[in-house]
Amino acid sequence: MDCANAIETRGLAKTFGETSAVADLSLSVARGEIFGFLGPNGAGKTTSVKMLTGLIRPSHGSGTLLGAPLGDRKTRRKLGYLPELFRYQEWLSGREVLRFHARMMGLRDAKREIERVLDLAALSERGGDRVGAYSKGMQQRLGLAVALLGEPDLVILDEPTSALDPIGRHEVRQILRSLKTHGTTVFLNSHLLTEVEQVCDRIAIVLRGRIVAQGTIAEIIGIQDVVRVRAQSDRALQPILERFGPVSVEGDAFLIATAHARIPELVQTLVQTGARIFAVEPIEATLEDRFLEITGTPQP
Amino acid sequence: MMYVAILTINELARRRFLLAALCATAVLVALTGWGFTHLMHMHDRHGRPLSVIEIRSMTAVLVVLIAYMFSFVLAVVAVFLAAPSLANDIESGVLLPIVTRPLSRAAILSGKALALAFVVCAYATASGLAEFAVARAATGYLPPHPFTAIAYLCLLAVVMLVLAFALSTRLSALAGSIVAIVFFGGTWMAGIVGSLGTYYQNTAAINAGIVSQLLLPTDAMWREAVYYLEPAVSVAAFNARHVWPGPFFVLAPPPATMILWTIVWIAALFAVAAYSFTVRDL
Repeated sequence: MDCANAIETRGLAKTFGETSAVADLSLSVARGEIFGFLGPNGAGKTTSVKMLTGLIRPSHGSGTLLGAPLGDRKTRRKLGYLPELFRYQEWLSGREVLRFHARMMGLRDAKREIERVLDLAALSERGGDRVGAYSKGMQQRLGLAVALLGEPDLVILDEPTSALDPIGRHEVRQILRSLKTHGTTVFLNSHLLTEVEQVCDRIAIVLRGRIVAQGTIAEIIGIQDVVRVRAQSDRALQPILERFGPVSVEGDAFLIATAHARIPELVQTLVQTGARIFAVEPIEATLEDRFLEITGTPQP
Repeated sequence: MMYVAILTINELARRRFLLAALCATAVLVALTGWGFTHLMHMHDRHGRPLSVIEIRSMTAVLVVLIAYMFSFVLAVVAVFLAAPSLANDIESGVLLPIVTRPLSRAAILSGKALALAFVVCAYATASGLAEFAVARAATGYLPPHPFTAIAYLCLLAVVMLVLAFALSTRLSALAGSIVAIVFFGGTWMAGIVGSLGTYYQNTAAINAGIVSQLLLPTDAMWREAVYYLEPAVSVAAFNARHVWPGPFFVLAPPPATMILWTIVWIAALFAVAAYSFTVRDL
């Protein structure tokens, strides 16, 4: 196993009775990167996360976290974890929850660290309130603060923005980016594709307990630009457009698989042929398109 | 481990368990005290005031009956504190961020068990002593060995606490509590069967009692406690009349090895509970 990686797994599998939740999880997450873990509901994402954090014992396979075997107790000092099902002692205040975790971690300057993470999670003003009085979003912010306590080397976040409003999500994305600048590795389990697309360096897509795609977002999406041309309906244009790449017809428009850099040349050629052009627009492929394609979900 | 123990005690205080238990017990002790004072003014069928010996004999019986009720309350309190303490935290997800900290699951369980054992034993000691003090103040009677009896009642509570923890590592709080209480009741019944077996010299009944005490030593601890609450004169009277003393009195305590077995039982079942909690998926 490569100890340089923050996470390294080989053939991790988990079965519950006859049901296989995770069939073959082999992935590598480099230190300092933000890694997105995607998949449809029931794909085995949370089970995978729980195996990584030692909450669930794998049925097969092995792995390391920060160079130590999965479940290693000492390594947990360098691990921050926000569970999907986030619940904290509702009879404590947010600050007391953090103090309890700081004690378990043996943090030295706990008071300052608690205030730092409360501030980071935008909970400073409500830190003294009982958790029971928190909204769901505030409880998730508290969970994030708990996960970031003690500046861990690796943060595993299971759906960290599921209860947050758009402002909260934006703030979490900023926190994730700042973690990256400090060299913290982030393992982000999410089904919010735009969120993953905006912050992750690399992603893996899991389907029925197996990783079906892994790489940078560009690698997953594929480097294939598409240009949409709307012109006066004229089938004679098609052979001209085919000089730039494969062409398909979409309603009253042509879709040409060609580099966006060739758009000026394309427009010049069309003008020279006397075609009446209404619009020429570059189309960016999205992670959502690719995700739906990979997971076999029919696209609208 | 100590952080978990402190948190557990903190939870009991914040959730007002301690206040509720103390208030309820204070009411109970006051009511029994009121009852004891009325013993002093009772008359026999001929209208004569009861003698001091009669009053103290009746108080001795009542103290044992109160202790029996109290042992049941202690067992139930131990179960209903221990089972949800773990099972509810597992079900709600409160435990997830805790078990991913650099702390073994056995240490988490130990912290919870230590805290609850401390609370239950402190409660047993405080309320037991309060009850004995009230009986003494009202009637002048004090059981022969109150501290020893309370110590055995504490052991009984710890046995139930550990049983509930062991069950709650795999069962829901409600299921674990029900199973523990059923076992407690079953063992009490088996103890009565064993007591009858001893009186009628029936080997099968005697063995049933012994096996049940080995499987769950709560009845043995109750018998130890009640033996140290009974005045020697009552034991001598039962022995002299050769009558079955019934479920609330004993003529001789369980063998001394039973105490050792109970301690081994507590340690062994706690080890099983810790292992069960450590290897389970969360």
